[in-house]
Amino acid sequence: MLLLAGLVIYFSLAAPGFANPRSAVFVLQSVAITGILALGVTTTLVVGGFDLSIGAVATTSLMLAAYVMVVLEQSAVVAVALCLLMGALVGLINGLLIVKCRIPDLLATLGMMFLLIGLQRIPTQGNSIATGMTLTDGSTAQGIFSEAFLWLGRHRFDLVIERLIPVPVVVFLLIALAVWLFLGFTRHGRLMYAIGSNERATALVGAPVERYKIAAYMISGVTAAIGGVLLAARLGRGDIASGNNLLLDSVAAALIGFAVLGAARPNAFGTAMGALFVGILLQGMTMMNAPYYTQDFVKGAVLVLALMFTFYLASRRGAVSRH
Amino acid sequence: MLKRFALHLTAAATLAAGIGTASAEPRPAPFDAPEDIDIALIRYISTGDFFQAYLSGVEAQAEALGVNLRVLDSRQDAALQADMVDQAIALGVDGIIIQHGLPESMQAAAARAVEAGIDVVAFDVEVDNPAIPQIEQSDYLLGELALDQALEDNGDAFTAGYVYVPGIAPLDRRNAAWEAFKAEHPSVTEAAVFGTLDNPIANSVANQARAVIQANPMIDVFFAPYNEFAAGVKIAVDEMGLGDDISIYSADISTSDIAAMREPGSPWAATVATNPTVVGEVSLRTLALLMAGEDPGQQVVVPPTLITREFLNDNAITNMETLAEKMPQFAHADVALADWLPLPGTGAQ
Amino acid sequence: MPTVLDLEGIHKSFGSNEVLRGVDLCLEAGEVTVLMGANGAGKSTLVKVISGYHAAGTGQMTLAGDDYRPLSARAAIHRGVVTVHQSIDDGVIPDLSVADNLMLDRLAAREYGLWVGRRTLNAQAEEIARTMGLTFDLNARVADLTVADRQMIGIARAMAHTPKVLILDEPTSSLSAGEAERLFQVLERLRDQGVAILYISHRMSDIKRLADRIICLRDGQVSGVFEQAPLDVSGAVHAMLGQTMAAAAITPVTAGAPVLSLSGVRLAPEAAPVDVEACDGEVVAFTGLLGSGMEALAETLFGQRPLHSGQMRLDGRAYRPASVREALAAGVFMSVKDRASNAVVKDFSITDNLTLPFLKAFSHGPFLSAARQTRATARMVDTLGIKCQSLDEPITTLSGGNQQKVMIGRWLQTRCRVLLLDEPFQGVDIGARRDIGRHIRESAPGRATLVFVSDIDEAIEIADRIIVLHEGAIAGEQLNQNLDLDTLVAQAAGNG
Repeated sequence: MLLLAGLVIYFSLAAPGFANPRSAVFVLQSVAITGILALGVTTTLVVGGFDLSIGAVATTSLMLAAYVMVVLEQSAVVAVALCLLMGALVGLINGLLIVKCRIPDLLATLGMMFLLIGLQRIPTQGNSIATGMTLTDGSTAQGIFSEAFLWLGRHRFDLVIERLIPVPVVVFLLIALAVWLFLGFTRHGRLMYAIGSNERATALVGAPVERYKIAAYMISGVTAAIGGVLLAARLGRGDIASGNNLLLDSVAAALIGFAVLGAARPNAFGTAMGALFVGILLQGMTMMNAPYYTQDFVKGAVLVLALMFTFYLASRRGAVSRH
Repeated sequence: MLKRFALHLTAAATLAAGIGTASAEPRPAPFDAPEDIDIALIRYISTGDFFQAYLSGVEAQAEALGVNLRVLDSRQDAALQADMVDQAIALGVDGIIIQHGLPESMQAAAARAVEAGIDVVAFDVEVDNPAIPQIEQSDYLLGELALDQALEDNGDAFTAGYVYVPGIAPLDRRNAAWEAFKAEHPSVTEAAVFGTLDNPIANSVANQARAVIQANPMIDVFFAPYNEFAAGVKIAVDEMGLGDDISIYSADISTSDIAAMREPGSPWAATVATNPTVVGEVSLRTLALLMAGEDPGQQVVVPPTLITREFLNDNAITNMETLAEKMPQFAHADVALADWLPLPGTGAQ
Repeated sequence: MPTVLDLEGIHKSFGSNEVLRGVDLCLEAGEVTVLMGANGAGKSTLVKVISGYHAAGTGQMTLAGDDYRPLSARAAIHRGVVTVHQSIDDGVIPDLSVADNLMLDRLAAREYGLWVGRRTLNAQAEEIARTMGLTFDLNARVADLTVADRQMIGIARAMAHTPKVLILDEPTSSLSAGEAERLFQVLERLRDQGVAILYISHRMSDIKRLADRIICLRDGQVSGVFEQAPLDVSGAVHAMLGQTMAAAAITPVTAGAPVLSLSGVRLAPEAAPVDVEACDGEVVAFTGLLGSGMEALAETLFGQRPLHSGQMRLDGRAYRPASVREALAAGVFMSVKDRASNAVVKDFSITDNLTLPFLKAFSHGPFLSAARQTRATARMVDTLGIKCQSLDEPITTLSGGNQQKVMIGRWLQTRCRVLLLDEPFQGVDIGARRDIGRHIRESAPGRATLVFVSDIDEAIEIADRIIVLHEGAIAGEQLNQNLDLDTLVAQAAGNG
């Protein structure tokens, strides 16, 4: 937290134009989508799992939204509903693979990731989707990204300053709040943490461990799908992309979140802070004209430091308590 | 259908220019029996509209010639791509098109193919072998044309933001045009250089561009010589509501780019592009010439076309097909031609 | 006989828990020394100190006259001190073949070189197998073998080192009589070759068959040394269990109405059926060795394994739980054994651990009420005498005994019909053990309490009635009054 404040002050001094409300909102906007994905990953981390498929779910959701609206010419509501359904379904399958088929989480979700990266390209034979594109049967796609859908990515709510807060930021904050409350303050969240710490013990006190694990992957799938919808609304087109960078950035945010407030475990508040931290860092560095590879380097360094901080301190603390 | 029709038209135009009737001409060996010819397209990258369109061009030309085409895709694995060349040699193909790749791994592999008596052409990868013609879309020219348009629209004293990721061959060549332009026009200021290939690229570039615009409010021109870069910058400019104050000049084009350029108040002023389908066609034609014993030249350059926002709006262009229709020089390139070589859409009779 | 290993004044503590309190022990070449001790007496800790898993606190160890202070298990093996541990799966790697397992420590040695030649490896493994009289396929996967076979592999590998000192921690607890006999023959051969053997066992038949000397450990100290032939085995049992149970003697309560009754329940396919009845207010202890059927009985009652034959009734109604959830719903609670892996949620505080099973009772809708959790925890901390700085400190800061109090406290918050306690005193110091025992007895009315302990001493401390299991059947049963201890011990060992 201190570091975060320090960073803000440093960039405010070093980069003119950094410190103003719009700038703050821009940072939020740039982390909103990875942040939403990171919150999903956090829930799977809480039950001791991992979801590698979120990036692919997000881009599949992006393609699905575009396909439903542009090719099938359906409304925004149908598109969003189908995307959320798809996310939940993917989460369910992930969960079943892990819980019922006993496939290790990393492997199951890795398989799902590849499957989705391929699947999203099948309907358009690897082409991006845009209004006016030529379809396989030779006709052109007539559907459009409706205004209502683009609103999700582009509208801004007034707050003190006119047109200040973009929709994705609001969605991000709402999801962060919901996940924070769910994990930290409900018995379901508490049991999920218990599963992550000692699955056997939790099963032996009568908790439906399998259902909770599946639920965690479904939450992860749905949040990733929401991220994809917002991405589609922002881009206004169905760009094909593997989503691997989304995956890596959001995992980084969730892991950096371990270190926030010395929690040493996955938590929604930490994840949101982690996402924000990376966002501020990148925004500040871009404003100071740092080339892209230094940004990757800095991201990596922050992650390694955060992990060192978390696990080294945790092991030290463990050692102290044992003697 | 529309596309075929357009190509037919342009092909007819070329024919009228004195090249002769394709089907009438007797074909040189080995193309007298095209069904026995196997050609391998060995790809380094395949994901993305450009590469998809490139493939469809190669396929269309192969179909027009009647040869068999095998597509091997290494999915950005340089070592695998080299192995695939050896695999193609082992399969006994008659010709190989290498599409992109890393020079380090491809030079030796390509040389092995040449030694095995196979005709090889390379697209956009420097294999440094006199027996292998290079097909290029002239990236330098692409950059130069876009910058000339920027000069025409904005005068020679503007402040520019430049999107660039070094180490990517076509971007490096476009960068050379930018460097030359800066040297020639000292009154143009480069306020910021940024860029990333994190995908989705447009999304990542948008985040960066916004930070850049904020830090450098005096920027009035963006040179984003790659359409995904330009799409990202456009999102940022739109989000900041600066569409009227900033112009974007880019390279490459796709259907969704056309829509983005034509949006009311869009800052995306112009782009310069080579039609990737045409590049694909030219690649295969160059290989065919080489196999027939003709000399296509060491370098086959597919010339780019300038496409302005104004032109798109005036002609109500909505997708790549209508663009090809309204802009014949975009739909066809007068390179690597021969009397006996049927063009796509004409050779199937 | 020359002394090979000599220990003087060995101390070892974990946190505030002093496990070894000045142990003197010497092992002589060509002699089998049997180490006896109840659960928690410090046997395992002593073995781990000797075999290099734990560093000794204070004290002096010499091996063949030289200073001996192994810093790792490898160092100990290097010096010729080889240990076969009690937990079988610590000793073998299930996914590798028998040959690989037999050769495992040689593969781990630096001298072995880089390449694993299948043929040399198999030849060497075959040599090891032959000396042990092992007959199974060397290429079989260890995971496919029986427990006894796996243990034989662990022992065979230890033998292959031609050790100076060989330590066996309850090696026969999962072996059949035939397999045990094979082991004894090998041990006798090693003894004749001059190896000093430290043998840890409860089995009277083993002890009578092998022991040259018996050393009893009790509460971290040597409580008796017997080396005059013929060995006074029952004297050793008394030295091991001590005389304290007279002080802890309890008056069995008059049983109330029957709560749980089992009839014709088979704990193993070929075992004799078991009939048991437990009544309201009664504490029944089951005791027996590993494989006696205690585990099967506890798990069947708690819905972890299906009931194959026979019938269980709870308050007169048929009781047949298909899962832990069903058992809990029927009012059958269990504090499971091995708390570290089965019960403690390491990342949680005392409060969160204690309230884990009944979170619903501490919630408003889906939201937890921290105040209610804290109130309940404070009450339980008070009743059980859990020593802690604050209710929100991590559970891992507590001593083993206090952790166990929390684990048992979990199940005392709500009334239940049947309370099952599986090894409630595992890794618990004497003080905490007394606290837990007292509270279990005080709160016993209103439910039937079943306790599963492998240590007879613990059974005597807590139960109204003691049932001895052996090979899945009831081998003996006594009210906890004027107990015939020797008979109990003999019944548990299968000599009843």
